[in-house]
Amino acid sequence: MIAFQSMSFRYGKRPLFEGLDLDLEPGSIFGLLGLNGAGKTSFLKLAAGALRPQGGEISVFGRNPSERSAEGLADIYFVPEDPWLPPITSSAWIERYASFRPAFDKARFEKLLDELALEDDKVLTKYSYGQRKKFALAAALSSGAHALLLDEPTNGLDIPSKAQLRRILAESADPSRVVVVSTHQVRDLENIIDPVIIVHGGKVLFRLSSEELGERLFTRHLSSLEGQAIVYAERDALGWSALLAKPSAPGSVEGEETGPADLELVFDAAIAAPERLEAALRGAGDALEAYRPEEHEIAKEASK
Amino acid sequence: MTNVNKNPAFSFRRCALLVRNRLYDEAGSVGIGAAVMVGLNLLGLILSRRAWLNESGSDQAWSFAVILGGLLLASQAFKGMHDGKAGSEWLLLPASPLEKYAAAAADYLVIYPLVASAGAALASLLLSLLERALGGAGGTVWTPVLAGGFRAWGEYAIAATILMAGSASFRKAPLIKTAGVVTVYVLAMSLLAFIGVLIFFNKNAEASDSVIRVEGLAINFERKLSEGAVKAETTLLDIARYGLAPLFALLYGYFRVFEKEARDEVQ
Repeated sequence: MIAFQSMSFRYGKRPLFEGLDLDLEPGSIFGLLGLNGAGKTSFLKLAAGALRPQGGEISVFGRNPSERSAEGLADIYFVPEDPWLPPITSSAWIERYASFRPAFDKARFEKLLDELALEDDKVLTKYSYGQRKKFALAAALSSGAHALLLDEPTNGLDIPSKAQLRRILAESADPSRVVVVSTHQVRDLENIIDPVIIVHGGKVLFRLSSEELGERLFTRHLSSLEGQAIVYAERDALGWSALLAKPSAPGSVEGEETGPADLELVFDAAIAAPERLEAALRGAGDALEAYRPEEHEIAKEASK
Repeated sequence: MTNVNKNPAFSFRRCALLVRNRLYDEAGSVGIGAAVMVGLNLLGLILSRRAWLNESGSDQAWSFAVILGGLLLASQAFKGMHDGKAGSEWLLLPASPLEKYAAAAADYLVIYPLVASAGAALASLLLSLLERALGGAGGTVWTPVLAGGFRAWGEYAIAATILMAGSASFRKAPLIKTAGVVTVYVLAMSLLAFIGVLIFFNKNAEASDSVIRVEGLAINFERKLSEGAVKAETTLLDIARYGLAPLFALLYGYFRVFEKEARDEVQ
C-alpha cells in the first residue's frame, strides 16, 4: 500500500500539498487527475522517493521512499513523462539496469517490446519520444515492482499504441500491486483507471470509484439545460454535453443518452462545480439548484 | 540475467554490477586511448621500423598514458549523478550511495590501473616483438615497474581519489575545478609554511643550527637534524601524503555522494 499521512510539500515558499492523507491500496489502477500545476507529477515523485516531503510521512509497502534504500527503490518503478534512456541497446539495458531489480521478468519484457514493435537492436537514444515512452513502460510493467508510478503514459503515443497500453496495463493489474497513472488525457485511460483521484488546490478533492460514479451520475447530450438535475455541462456542437445526477425516483430524462459518467466531465465538474458534484455523489442530486453555466466555467478555474 | 541479493546495507553483488556497468561505459574511451598509443607505434614501425614509444627516453609515454587515462576517468567518475535526466536514473537506481561510491573507487584505484597496465605492457611487448621481427633492436618493453611500481601507483591513487572527490563535488569542469582547488590549497599551505618559517626560524634560530637564506624569491631552509629525526619527519610526511590525503579525499567524496542522494531531488 502507498500511504500519505499528513504529508506536506512545497516548492520554496509555495505550498503544493498541505496535510495530505491518502491510502492507495494494492489491486487497483489509480487515475490521478488534476489541472496543470496541480501537483500530479510531484505526487508521483514523492511516492517514488524522488522528492522529499517537508512534513508528514509517506510509506510505500512499509518503506519510506525518501530513504532510497536499494530494496525500496527496487520495489518502485517511476516512469517520468519524458523518460531518459542510456545510449545502449535493449539487451544491454537488461544486463546493466534490470539486474538491479530482483523481480524483473525478462521474458515478459521481451514480449512487451515485441508487442510494442520496439526494435531490440536499436540504440535506445535513437528511439523517438513515443518509443522511449513505450520502452520505459515495458520496463516498468516487467520490473516486478509493487508500486508502478506512471506520469502521463499516453502522451506521445500513437492511437494503436494507446490501445496497446490500455490492454497491457489492464493485464498488469495484480492484487499485490499499486498502479498510479497521472494523466490529463482522461479519455485515453478512462476504461481502466479505477478509482479516480482528483487533486486540486493542494488536496485530494475527490476519490471516486467507477461503481460510485455509475450509481450516481450519467452523461447526456441536451438541447436545453432547463428542468434537469445537471451537475455540470459544457457547450458542444450539438447543444450541451451534460453530467447529470441520477434521479432518486425512476423517471424520464430528456436528451440522447451517451452512456455512463464521462470522466472528463466528472473531472471538469470536480474543478468547476465541486459542491454540485459532491451533492450528486451523496444522493442529493434532486435538490440541485438550476444550473447556470456562467457560474461554473472550467477555463476560469484553470487560469487561476 | 544476474539478480541481486537482499542485503540491506551493502551488497557486494550490486557493487560488482555497478563496477561492471562502469567498465562497459568506459570501454569506448579506453579503447580509443589504447588505439592512439598502438597507432603511434605502428606508424613508427611503418616509417622507421621502430616502435617509437618503446625507445629509451620515450618509454615513459606508456606510464603517462596509463596514468593520464585513469585520472581523466576518475575526474568524470560521478558525472552522471549531476546530469539532469541521467541524474534521476542515478538517484533512483536500486543501489546504496556506499555501493555506488565503492564501485567507483574499486574501478579507478584497482581495476583500471591493473587492466590498463597489463594492456600497456602487453601492447609494448607485442610491438617490441614486431620491431624485432622487422629487424629492429626491439627497444624497451614497458612494465609497471618501469613506471615506478607501487610508488607510482600510490601517487596515482592519491590523485585519483582527489579527482573522484572533485567529480562528486563539481557538476561542470570537475577536472579544472579540482586542479584549481588543489593549487589554491597548495599555495595557501606554502604561504602558511613561509610565514611559519619567517616567524619561527628568524635570526635567533641560527643559534640552533637553522639558517634561512633568501635568494631573490627562492627561500631555502636548512636544518641540521639527527638521522632519527629525519626518518620520523619523512614517515610523518608519507603518512600525510599517502594516508591522510587520500583518506580525506575518499571520505569527503563519499559524503558528497551520500549528501547528493540524501538531499537532492529529481527534477
